Amino acid sequence: MKKKTKSLIALLLVTVMSAVMVVGCSSNGESKEETTDKTAGGDNEIVFWNIGTEEVDKAIYDKAIEMYHESTDTEYTVTSVPVQNDTYKEKLVIAMSSGECPDMYINWSGGPMNEYIESGFAQPITELFNNSELPDRLLEASVAQATYKEDIYAVPFMNVSLSGIFYNKDMFKQYNLEVPTTIEELEKVSDTFVENGITPFALANAPKWTGSMYFMNLAARKGGLEPFAAAVDGSGSFEDECFIYAGDKILEWTEKGYFPEGVNSLSEDDGQARQMLYQETAAMDLIGSWYTGLIQQDSPEFYEKIGWFPFPGLEGSDVDSSIMIGTIGDNFISFNCEDDKLAAAFECATKFSEDEMVDFMVESGKVPPVKGVEDKLTDPITKSIMESANNASSTQLWYDQYLPPAVAQAHLDSSQELFGGTITSKEAAEQFQKAMEEYLSESKE
Amino acid sequence: MNKVKSKVSWSVAWILGIIWSIVALLPFVFMVLNSFKEKFELLTEGVFSIPKSFYLDNYKAVLSGNFFRFFFNSVIVLFVSLTILLLISACASYPLSRFQFKLAKPIYAIIVACMSIPIHITLIPVFKMSKNMGVYDSIWALIGPYVATAIPISVFILTSFMKEIPVEIEEAAQIDGCGRYQMFFRIMLPLAKPGLATLAIYNGVNMWNEFSFAYTLTQSSANRTLPLAVWEFQGQYSMNTPMVMAVLTLTVIPMIILFIFAQDKLVKGMTAGAVKG
Amino acid sequence: MGKKELSLTAKRKKDTRMAAFVFLLPIAILMIVYIFYPIIDTFHTSLYKWNGISADKTMIGLKNWVKLAQDTSFWTAFKNNLIVMVLSICIQIPIGLALATFIDFGGKKMTVFKVLWFIPLLMSSVAIGFLFSYALATNGGIFSAISGLFGGGNIDLLGNPKTALFTVIGVIAWQFTPFYMVYCMAAYTNLSTEVYEAAIIDGASKGQYFWQVALPLLAPSIKSAAILSMVGSLKYFDLVYVMTGGGPGTSTELMATYMYKQSFVKFNMGYGSAVAGGMFILISLVSLITMRILNGKKKEAA
Repeated sequence: MKKKTKSLIALLLVTVMSAVMVVGCSSNGESKEETTDKTAGGDNEIVFWNIGTEEVDKAIYDKAIEMYHESTDTEYTVTSVPVQNDTYKEKLVIAMSSGECPDMYINWSGGPMNEYIESGFAQPITELFNNSELPDRLLEASVAQATYKEDIYAVPFMNVSLSGIFYNKDMFKQYNLEVPTTIEELEKVSDTFVENGITPFALANAPKWTGSMYFMNLAARKGGLEPFAAAVDGSGSFEDECFIYAGDKILEWTEKGYFPEGVNSLSEDDGQARQMLYQETAAMDLIGSWYTGLIQQDSPEFYEKIGWFPFPGLEGSDVDSSIMIGTIGDNFISFNCEDDKLAAAFECATKFSEDEMVDFMVESGKVPPVKGVEDKLTDPITKSIMESANNASSTQLWYDQYLPPAVAQAHLDSSQELFGGTITSKEAAEQFQKAMEEYLSESKE
Repeated sequence: MNKVKSKVSWSVAWILGIIWSIVALLPFVFMVLNSFKEKFELLTEGVFSIPKSFYLDNYKAVLSGNFFRFFFNSVIVLFVSLTILLLISACASYPLSRFQFKLAKPIYAIIVACMSIPIHITLIPVFKMSKNMGVYDSIWALIGPYVATAIPISVFILTSFMKEIPVEIEEAAQIDGCGRYQMFFRIMLPLAKPGLATLAIYNGVNMWNEFSFAYTLTQSSANRTLPLAVWEFQGQYSMNTPMVMAVLTLTVIPMIILFIFAQDKLVKGMTAGAVKG
Repeated sequence: MGKKELSLTAKRKKDTRMAAFVFLLPIAILMIVYIFYPIIDTFHTSLYKWNGISADKTMIGLKNWVKLAQDTSFWTAFKNNLIVMVLSICIQIPIGLALATFIDFGGKKMTVFKVLWFIPLLMSSVAIGFLFSYALATNGGIFSAISGLFGGGNIDLLGNPKTALFTVIGVIAWQFTPFYMVYCMAAYTNLSTEVYEAAIIDGASKGQYFWQVALPLLAPSIKSAAILSMVGSLKYFDLVYVMTGGGPGTSTELMATYMYKQSFVKFNMGYGSAVAGGMFILISLVSLITMRILNGKKKEAA
């Protein structure tokens, strides 16, 4: 008994000692190699944080970096650090709060990017940008999104993502339905589905931003873009009639059974919305254009059944119904380095819009925000999405990306409650407006 | 009469036990079942169907990736952290449960208060420290926070456990001329084995599944631990669920095996055995 | 003689202090570095208006704390935490104890159950979140199917603000009950076999042994388990964040999820730190007071 205990203790001590030694040695060893133990790279290393953890995305990042290494004249090398999307923003905040920041990092523009810029973690690249080929290559709308207070702070590079309605062509045929061109027609189509026991819209609203698409589209069709812009700069209000209208419609549609039962507990990431489409228990889905790539990856056969149309306008309304909700570039690269290093990092970022890369991305089901991308597209749905985008008089960025993060959260919360039927449209508008006012008064301080 | 009653209640207990087994096991079973499905199959047939075929490609894909690297990292982190944790929390619990000194109560109170620290507030300071110590982006950066954040709860459990160990054994040893340090290693540690096993199980599971520190303190894929292995199958808009389930199944199995061994330490009669020995 | 004795006790006291110091030193170092420092840092940060990333912070004194005291969302979260706490203690510990008792009475052949019943604790929150989001789905979920069997309609458990919190509590209980089972199993090992044998020889049935002999002896362990469960549920985060993110509305918002959103999503690190600090104070108070009450009772009994 005693012997056993002694030997156990000896073993424990030896392990601890060796562990301590290994720790010591390894940290010595590491300082020699100096691979990636810094957030920002060493003298000749550019550290690039991105969200390319999954196969398809990872290949895109790797290819662009490889192209950069092959063609560059500078001595800088780029190291890619992929971090999973859900945890990426948090990791970035933690690094930045310690005064650390990768040399290059992706973000989604809008509110959070403005915070990074205000805090000094993104350098203006206007000059580099204008002297490069990028102004010729990239869509102007995407560059506008990367601009803050008249300077360009990021390179848009991936995913034109616009909201629109994906629908099951077979099911439309079965019930003799036409693609709706007005909200009134859309409601008739939906009523037909409800009568036949089919859920009109596959919506999984646990993450909240999915339901927000309905709110944004409805508000834009009712009132155009001015009410939103006015509410944001303080001259208007989120209690404007177009936001009330959006809230009322959502309540009405929920009441009429347009959305699946328990919509607020369905998870988009887990594929519960797509499951309804695939099982053909739902006929339509208002969602971002990345669904083309997703459905193709899930099942090329099912993709044959899918069609797409933009969110229809209001009958008899003179509001421009070509306005699209979404983003012309979903992912942007910002830079936190200077001089030669910045130039080299920028050079790497330009690789994403080179022809070879554009082809590669299109093949992977992505739509880079470059001019003439519609000519490269072969997929009919993606083509029609791009056509609508080109015809659009303007594009409204997702509220939750555009707004300051605290206001965005208030919008998402109240919008979700609308789908639950637990608040009135007026209450939702009030909550939204209150958060906006708080933000405006705080930023004045 | 008594016997009949006892039999009846024992049967009821068995039925409840079996019901509980089903409740406990079903999610695990479906995790495993879904790991054998193809992605589209999962999305059309739903989560609760039986896989159409025994589709092994998910496992092949997972195992041909970085899985073993992550696994190896996790094993090292777990082994080192757990060893240190058990040793030092046993050391700390001994005086807190047995010694009479003024500060015992305040120290114990502080440790209890520290159980209530929310994990997220430690992320930023620990990130800074790891940078300064030069261990950022290595698995060694994880050991400090893993051990430290588990200390309060471990000391709390072990102290209350040691308090319940009868004092008679120690008194006998004391008469034999056993000193404090000897007493700790020879008497207390062996007697506390069930408590230590509980701690090992609980903290082992937590460390094995720990996520926040793992992604805050590492960045290159060579230094990641198992909970981050699912990243390779989670994109910006969706995840490849069957693959993720395959990874998670492979992650759980080592823990089940470990538990089968560890629970052996939770056998009744340790105290009695020690008295006789 | 008297003097010598006195110095002897003094020496013993000194020895005790010395030994205590040596034994406590390792955890003291680690806790200062990894726990005390972050706590102080949090309280310090709570005095600033800070977005969490910028180099300039604005000192605003106790404004964040004043805001916290008046913040109804925080107090709603605290109330939710209290509900989680009470129900967790009432569900997890009795079931855990029952399972452990069953295994203890059954002896060696129960190893299979030990392993089976332990599995929920091993599963990662990613898997649990995924599987339960399907199991709880209103249409096609398991619970709706069960309700259908009894002639009821579909039920929306997670999407309904009235039931969401209780549903999440159920899932948390499912995951953590095995921990209390293991905990109680360890506690049983401290009861010597003689106690059991003596009770049985005296003609006690197993039920009588449990209620009259084992339970009083296990009481201290159960009290500790209650405190563990209390602290654990007051700072709970994982599954709630994965499954509901605090919604619908604020019906499942907990202090930890609220703090996380303020600090990492809304760029309000200063206020988020005040929330974290408030959380820390509230939980410590609740747990220390409970401990006082529980231990006080013990003294009276003795």
